[in-house]
Amino acid sequence: MHEMSLVQALLTQLTTLAAEHKKKRVITVTLDIGPLSGVVIDSFQFGFDILSAEDSLTKGAKLIIINSPATYQCIQCGYRQLLPVRPDHCPECDETLLIPEGGDAIILNQVEME
Amino acid sequence: MCDSCGCDLTNSHNHSHDTNSRVIEVHQSLLAANDAIAAENKAHFEAMGVVAINMISSPGSGKTTLLEKTIERLKGKIRIGVIEGDIETDRDAQRIRAKGVPVVQLTTGGACHLDAAQIHKGLHLLEKEPGGDKLDLLFIENVGNLVCPATFNLGEHQRVVLVSVPEGPDKPAKYPKAFISSQIFVITKTDLLPYFDFPVDEARADALHLNPRLQVMALSATSGEGFEAWIDYLQIIVTGNNKSGIQAES
Repeated sequence: MHEMSLVQALLTQLTTLAAEHKKKRVITVTLDIGPLSGVVIDSFQFGFDILSAEDSLTKGAKLIIINSPATYQCIQCGYRQLLPVRPDHCPECDETLLIPEGGDAIILNQVEME
Repeated sequence: MCDSCGCDLTNSHNHSHDTNSRVIEVHQSLLAANDAIAAENKAHFEAMGVVAINMISSPGSGKTTLLEKTIERLKGKIRIGVIEGDIETDRDAQRIRAKGVPVVQLTTGGACHLDAAQIHKGLHLLEKEPGGDKLDLLFIENVGNLVCPATFNLGEHQRVVLVSVPEGPDKPAKYPKAFISSQIFVITKTDLLPYFDFPVDEARADALHLNPRLQVMALSATSGEGFEAWIDYLQIIVTGNNKSGIQAES
């Protein structure tokens, strides 16, 4: 459950942002959690629901999670494709060894606060 | 995009547009704080002239036994130190200390992984141990867990993922992140191959399918089979550590 550590890091970032912008309440939080990030979205949401309720700043805040895909580059022909799941082989040359790039984001994109 | 305020939030009607409300663009990793400390750790390793290896595996894959045998084998050639990570107890550290090398035990008290801040603390403790400030090679034995440690950069030069024969060959397919983020994949306990259904080639192919750059080794710390390739690899990364030789970054 390293998702709990990540939620704690998020809440720390939100507290800092609220102080910087002199805001009292977080309304929505938008995150990009990629398919290769190793984060289970349901566990993250579960952790957020529990920990966000403990602080008036984040109580009732809504979490919006997007899932940016990874790029897979063929080791043979160099063909690149952007996909949410790993393909079995290269559509150009059938090679099975594809190098993943990106898709491992765990990024806080936007916060709406008042 | 929300028509009212121009933000990227798709559920445009679920957020308020009160005059007090404001959307702040952040675009910063949740791991930014960890990564900043990891970068400091790496600078610290390099100032010490030490190569750091982060070892990740399930509990019971044989990380500590591999380290014991590695220390025995490289005694007098390479100065080794160890940072042990466990949820509780210093049993692993006791085993390593018995081999006569500097060791620090970090207990996470329940947390499922080591993070960069713990390594920063561990490194300062290690430097206080006899010989702990003059090392060539530092092993960080992460908490036994094939999932969570893969997300946390510790500042290491190389990441090694281990799977033992009794665990089965499907670990790469099931736990991809650890394999995608590592440079070396070690299959351990190969002396047990006659008793388990573990097609080494299948595990190797699955791992390479995830990460074609992965270097794969199969060995038994008990029988010594395949051990030389591991020792050669360690000697190469240590001798290559003259500021230029490490090709670890991923």
